[in-house]
Amino acid sequence: MDQQMREDLLKLFQTKLNRAMVYYLETCTRCGVCTTACHVYQSMPQARYIAAYRAEIVRRIYKKHFKGQGKLWPSYGEAKELTEAALQELYDAAYSCTGCRRCMVYCPFGIDTQMLMSIAKLLLVGAHAEPEILTLLADTSIEKGRSLEFFKEGFLQGVKNLEQKVVEKWKLEAEGKTVIPVDVEGAELLYVALAGAHSIIPAAAVFNAAGENWTLSFFEAVNFGAFVGDPTRTKLILDRIVNEALRLKVKEVCICECGTAYRVMKQLSGTQPFKVSSVTEVHARYLREGRIRVSKKAFEGQVVTYHDPCQIARNGGVLEEPRFILQHLTDDFREMAPDPRYNYCCGGGGGLVALGEDTLDFRMKSAKVKAEQVQKTGATVLATACENCHTQLSDLNRHYGLGLNVQFLTSMVADALVVS
Amino acid sequence: MQTAYYLVLVPMVYAAFAVFVLGTVWRLVQTARRPAHPTTLQIFPKKEPAWLYAVGDTFLMPSIFRHSPVLWFFLAVFHVAVLLLIIGHLELFGDWPIFQLVPHEVFLGRGFVGLVAAVSVLYLFFRRFHAPVRDLSVPEDYYLLILLFLTIIFGSQMDWARRWYDYDVMGVSAYRAYLWSLVMLKPFVPDEILYSGHAFMLVLHVFFANLFLMVFPFTKMMHTFLALPMNLLRRG
Amino acid sequence: MSEAIHADKVMDLKGLPCPMPVVKVSKGIKEVAVGQILEAQTTDPGSLTDFPAWARTSGNEIVETIQENGIIRIFIRRKV
Repeated sequence: MDQQMREDLLKLFQTKLNRAMVYYLETCTRCGVCTTACHVYQSMPQARYIAAYRAEIVRRIYKKHFKGQGKLWPSYGEAKELTEAALQELYDAAYSCTGCRRCMVYCPFGIDTQMLMSIAKLLLVGAHAEPEILTLLADTSIEKGRSLEFFKEGFLQGVKNLEQKVVEKWKLEAEGKTVIPVDVEGAELLYVALAGAHSIIPAAAVFNAAGENWTLSFFEAVNFGAFVGDPTRTKLILDRIVNEALRLKVKEVCICECGTAYRVMKQLSGTQPFKVSSVTEVHARYLREGRIRVSKKAFEGQVVTYHDPCQIARNGGVLEEPRFILQHLTDDFREMAPDPRYNYCCGGGGGLVALGEDTLDFRMKSAKVKAEQVQKTGATVLATACENCHTQLSDLNRHYGLGLNVQFLTSMVADALVVS
Repeated sequence: MQTAYYLVLVPMVYAAFAVFVLGTVWRLVQTARRPAHPTTLQIFPKKEPAWLYAVGDTFLMPSIFRHSPVLWFFLAVFHVAVLLLIIGHLELFGDWPIFQLVPHEVFLGRGFVGLVAAVSVLYLFFRRFHAPVRDLSVPEDYYLLILLFLTIIFGSQMDWARRWYDYDVMGVSAYRAYLWSLVMLKPFVPDEILYSGHAFMLVLHVFFANLFLMVFPFTKMMHTFLALPMNLLRRG
Repeated sequence: MSEAIHADKVMDLKGLPCPMPVVKVSKGIKEVAVGQILEAQTTDPGSLTDFPAWARTSGNEIVETIQENGIIRIFIRRKV
């Protein structure tokens, strides 16, 4: 790595050094309490998978380039110069961390490993050493925001074609009504889905059953900028949705079952005239207000458990709502142990699922403990509220032969709808 | 020899305190002036009042208790012992009625507090020789524990000599005279300190303590001040 | 419907979770030669915006999009 490159990367590093980050970089006492926090370590007990070890890889570079200590006496804290080899270490640390923040619960100081890994990810982006596909996906999302007019017609036609399915399955009164409204100014609620029909059809059924004045976003909710750890791209992708919500003057932006999308939108969109909810929160509200009714028949005889998506539950605060919904869907709900704050990551976060088959082997091995946790509940239905988790849990289900029925919570609500 | 003793006991003490106070304030101010993180960093479910839970996290270390009870025991013992030793040092300046709620001679615990502190430091030190903590440790972790151990052992030795072996050449009145002279900026080291056979114990104690204070602001020791704000971030 | 376009490779991306259609097509496009055509079949309306945006970003070209019986067929020419 030449001097210019190193300086450029260190400038990027510098941009990450806000107060909280400096706390996290300065404080670790390497007490080792976080050792067993990481699901990767639990599944494969190697030191490199300990949160403090991952963090130290970033911290060594910080000591070398930003602290007097590392300049005067590098061996004191094992300070390390930013080199090609260091980049490789950063890659291994950051892309074996799913950003679930379980270790943050263990740490006596509450050091946020995900945040420290965001430095690693940003340096990799700066060095063009990040997983290419994540950047390509992020750029695709940004491009969509730029040239919306160009894609609009095709999308509207595609959505039209889905409407029939919604009507058929739920026997909704479709007369004179748009089943999947798009681009409706003055709607109450903007629903931001994913590209897949499975993310739109059940949600549409529930919105219509609840008599919601809603509109579907042109954009997909997921933020690949956040996965790849690029703040600029994250912001551009987020802004597409914020601008659409402002243009349509909606009062609420409802994010589909996608953990990253929810946390980014909820915590990063700033003060806006609309509120941000997850579809789980919205469905719980409909049930509470009696706007929809569901029957337990759809899942009769089934044992149901729920996987808390890290970014929605531990990091997003949506904990009670899914349980409230599940009470209406089944009489046999079983919690995983230990409690949701300590829930294991599915093993697919931080962009690992989006890297597809390249990470499949690692994802299956590293989430052994998750598979065991699910198995111990004795459940036959595994519900979750995140696309990423759903994909990973389905892979685990296959790999470990768990024989589970992996379900989206929205689909379960839609399947159990009692349409009067 | 007495010149070397004097250098450690007077100029180096001033230098150490200056580095410690100015360094710590400078580091804290420098950090506080950085921009806040734009989003919440909290972990859910949130418990109210968050600040009280953050105080609890900081001083009771519940997460360590849950995941590593033996470590928690030694950490708790160590931190409490250090606190008592600091109080003991304050008593070397004069009589504090508040500390005499439990009536005792200067330095609570008849020398056992120092012993307990030393033993817990040894535990913290030797646990670093075992995986997985060994894989996480860097030289800093060992150096600081060695420095703490040396400071505590030479300090405690004076207390032990006085209490357990009836050594009475250096006593509380001599320490008070010495420490007050430092505070008053009229440094003076009494002869019974400078010329006693045990003087080297005191000098080594002060020397290692000086070193410790001087590295404090630039090492992980800053967790002393950062633990609470960090736990506040986590509690929201 | 139009069968005029000859696809050199056909990928079935129906019902895949996010973001697999784009991930798979990014890999699949490398398996046809420059100038050849890849046909992606999906059922997801999001693909109708995702694929053109992806094509622009990655420098490939969408030559035709056909929607029939709920199936979306997107023909992509590899250009780079």
